[in-house]
Amino acid sequence: MSDRIRNVATIAVLATMAVALAVLVLTNPSDADRVESIGERIKCPVCQGESIANSPSEMARDMMSLVEERVEEGASDEAIVDDLLASYSGAVLLDPPASGSTLVLWLAPLGALAVGMGVILWWKSHPSGEAIDRGPRPRSGGRRLVPLLVLAGAFAIVVVVAGFFLQEREGPASGIAGLAGENLDEVSNETMEAVIAANADNPQVDGMRLALAERYYEEGDFQSAFPHYFAVADSPDSTEPQAVTALVRLGWMTWQGNGEAGTALDLFDQALAIDPDSDTALYLKALVLWCGPGDFEQAAALLEEVLADPELTGESRDVVQSDLDAIESGATCS
Amino acid sequence: MSNWTRWVGYGVALAAVAFAVVLASRFGTDPGLVDSPLLDQAAPEFSLAPLEGGDPVSLEDLRGDIVVVNFFASWCLECRNEHDDLTSTADAFAGQDVTFVHIAYQESPPASLEFLETEGRSEAAHYLADPGSRTAIAYGVFGIPETFFIDEDGTVVGKIIGESDALILGATIDAIRRGETPGQNVTGDTQQRPDE
Repeated sequence: MSDRIRNVATIAVLATMAVALAVLVLTNPSDADRVESIGERIKCPVCQGESIANSPSEMARDMMSLVEERVEEGASDEAIVDDLLASYSGAVLLDPPASGSTLVLWLAPLGALAVGMGVILWWKSHPSGEAIDRGPRPRSGGRRLVPLLVLAGAFAIVVVVAGFFLQEREGPASGIAGLAGENLDEVSNETMEAVIAANADNPQVDGMRLALAERYYEEGDFQSAFPHYFAVADSPDSTEPQAVTALVRLGWMTWQGNGEAGTALDLFDQALAIDPDSDTALYLKALVLWCGPGDFEQAAALLEEVLADPELTGESRDVVQSDLDAIESGATCS
Repeated sequence: MSNWTRWVGYGVALAAVAFAVVLASRFGTDPGLVDSPLLDQAAPEFSLAPLEGGDPVSLEDLRGDIVVVNFFASWCLECRNEHDDLTSTADAFAGQDVTFVHIAYQESPPASLEFLETEGRSEAAHYLADPGSRTAIAYGVFGIPETFFIDEDGTVVGKIIGESDALILGATIDAIRRGETPGQNVTGDTQQRPDE
């Protein structure tokens, strides 16, 4: 073997080894390269169109740090990206995935290209518009369908676009005003407590306080009802009917809970000072007078005042009349 | 030009305009307003130390409760706006198998603690630090406030993007108690850290 041949062979061997080494290096990127490569694919969630590899934001740095950690743990590139997709969805990828709803973004250029080529080919095959018969020519059924199909397609597009704009963009009602639109039966006591506590300075809260207090009252939970009735009775923003309701309930609960006739009668009087015609205040005051201090005469007078109300009808009138009959017969309160 | 060609032209033009309108309408919208892939999935686990330090609180420890996970920061205006409502809701549901967990987002513990000192806090809630934003990343947080609702079995069943209030929070918890899946609710904008 001549020297020349030997040299050529040596160079060939070295060149082959160099190429093999280059291929090895290129096909086995370092961990740092992998981190950078993954980072280039991930969109920084707090930036505008920047990858986490290129963004200086703290969030991007944190995400790069996470990627680096996962690479060091031996996770594959796809596993790392998949984990981020599981948290952020495809929105975290700089290039949208070629699947699902974003598939159209990948196919659109190809579709446009295909349509364009089709139009050019069709045009070239009918260079002088020979295919277009300028003279009268019976239209085939297919030809007649074309405008209809195009219109139908356009209509479908308009419907889709309109649907896109008309889709619900508002969340459920919020705040106190929102409760008017909610089904109160589905709102728990805790939720109402939370709304009231968060809106203590809002005049609108009195209505909700009263509704919650009434709910507690109906449940027999006087302890929970008390503070809300007191707040409504004391509120300068509550309406007269709200204040009367609160005072009457406070009076009745005071009597029922503690048997304190004096305090109860005082609360009924406060209610009657606001609305002297309140049948409920008059009736309950009469019951406390009868059952407490045993003032039959004043109790009977109050019940007669209630019965004088022409709007009192039905079972309510019967109950009041029955109590008046009992008082007038000298029966003890039961 | 034949009628056929003209109609095709009209159709293509209309489709192009509609496509352009749809794309244009997306400009300026918050890219974070995407459906969270976490909904109906097992909530990512976390074990985070309180802002003041001390024993970590893990999601696993809270299994059996409805857990409300709120990401907040002192620099976030919407977080300040919703803070009273979160506090009152946490208080109202205290002892009712509902736990509120507040995770500081992109903020040092001293800054978050100063915010809580000023704005108040619920004794029933946990206020945790998230070093390296690991939990925020696991929950796919784009901006704050974002609030996740995790049911008793550890499944993410609801998410509020933007400012919440006591009614939305309470109504969402009520729905979960009824066995419903409230899903995602966008109430407003979210914020990025001012220097981002």
